[in-house]
Amino acid sequence: MDTQELPLVFFTIMAQMSVGCFVVLGVIHLLAGRKLGAERVDKISDPALYAIGPVMVVALIVSLLHLGTPTNALNAIRHLQSSWLSREIFFGCAFAGLGAVFALCQWRKWLTPLLRQILAGITALVGLVLVLTNAMIYMLPTVPGWDSWATPVTFYTTAFLLGSLAVGTAFVGVLTWARRSGNELGAELTSLIRTSLRWIAVASIVLLGVEFVVLPTYALQLSQGGSAAAASAHALLYGHGVWLAVRLVLVFAGAGLLGLLLNWLARSGKQKVMTYAIVSAFALVLVSEFIGRLLFYTSNIRIGI
Amino acid sequence: MAKQLGFHIDQNYCTGCKACQIVCIDKHDLPEGVRWRRVAEYTGGAFTENTDGSYGAEVFTYYTSISCNHCADPICVKVCPTTAMHKGDNGIVSVDPDKCVGCRYCEWACPYGAPQYNSQVGKITKCDFCADYLAEGKDPACVAACPSRVLEYGEIETLRAKYGDTADIEPLPDPSITHPSLVITPHRHAQKTGYGIGELANASEL
Repeated sequence: MDTQELPLVFFTIMAQMSVGCFVVLGVIHLLAGRKLGAERVDKISDPALYAIGPVMVVALIVSLLHLGTPTNALNAIRHLQSSWLSREIFFGCAFAGLGAVFALCQWRKWLTPLLRQILAGITALVGLVLVLTNAMIYMLPTVPGWDSWATPVTFYTTAFLLGSLAVGTAFVGVLTWARRSGNELGAELTSLIRTSLRWIAVASIVLLGVEFVVLPTYALQLSQGGSAAAASAHALLYGHGVWLAVRLVLVFAGAGLLGLLLNWLARSGKQKVMTYAIVSAFALVLVSEFIGRLLFYTSNIRIGI
Repeated sequence: MAKQLGFHIDQNYCTGCKACQIVCIDKHDLPEGVRWRRVAEYTGGAFTENTDGSYGAEVFTYYTSISCNHCADPICVKVCPTTAMHKGDNGIVSVDPDKCVGCRYCEWACPYGAPQYNSQVGKITKCDFCADYLAEGKDPACVAACPSRVLEYGEIETLRAKYGDTADIEPLPDPSITHPSLVITPHRHAQKTGYGIGELANASEL
């Protein structure tokens, strides 16, 4: 498989995961905060929030490896009027910047909780636009394998699938760390984590369903297109068919089977097994999405010469 | 100064000798693998068995010399994040090396393969219509080198008035995407873009 675009594979996956985490964490915080009060929920959501920052910063740094002349990197936002790549860099930096400001406010308890919530809302919106700009870059009329509704749908699916599972992993991390350090979280927060994991499991099963509908529909459409489109479909289904199969098995096992198990465990099972389930679900889906993104870049077959 | 310079290619007399490609490499001192002008070989057809047991050849091949078409609506300029890719004097599309970040986005986008990455400098390079030669009143190197006088350049509207407005020939893409400053006098076997029955014979050389 073509690994030339490895920096972009890392960048897009990590950036999308960061956005997904931020949004999923925000939703959980919003819903749980109403019942338990925002400050108590902060206790489990803040550690997860602080973990997003480094991932996004690493993503931006890795994206520089794609450039032939990284010293000119600042020029890359000069064409916001027409280049989606400029817009991607702009929204990527804006998401990282706003996220950092929000995390700092959250840590220092600056501003009022309402203002912090508004700031988080804006950051989440900027993040969702970032995923859109990620996708729009590839909507080139000259590359039929990319110029498809499937590109944005897949990118958002990646964001929410990896985002949910990463948040779940962070939550069990918080739970385990609290137990080991002897500062039990208390019944309410433990039950909140269990409820979150159940819904994360449901979300990952639904998103798995989305991926399993999108992929064949997209491949079918592609194979019926012109010669460049058909060549992309052929590369995806035959040339790299084994990798595609591996990707599908991994995401099915991670999001589907482990999702079902996690949903059941979060309701009834022991914490240790639950921890293993979410961590391995996250790992399997991460590897699957990584292979999927590598395959995406190999469908870069242009029309013309 | 011209409003918009362009190329005319007469496919009927192109023998695929690649003198244009070689002189371009020589003139611009291009490193290995960087080819601003390339010659696409489009070929197809089949052999048929006649009733008397003999074979007939229903085959065709024709050549298209292509560099940058300095498009009216250049997708490379549109997608370039740095504004390094720009349209300048005479409608020539060129790269400002001081701005180029080497992201290769233009390379993905251009359906003529015109922007080419030079890994030695980490930047995109491309045909500049031999702007230095034009300034000296000389013809572009490729035009001057063609032994069959297949290549011609000039104000694109003049070329269109003279030769018509055909650019939708296989293996070239639909010209409505970028509006290339290109006029083709089609080969007698030329296939219309999207309706071709042949294939690129030398894809790895393009």
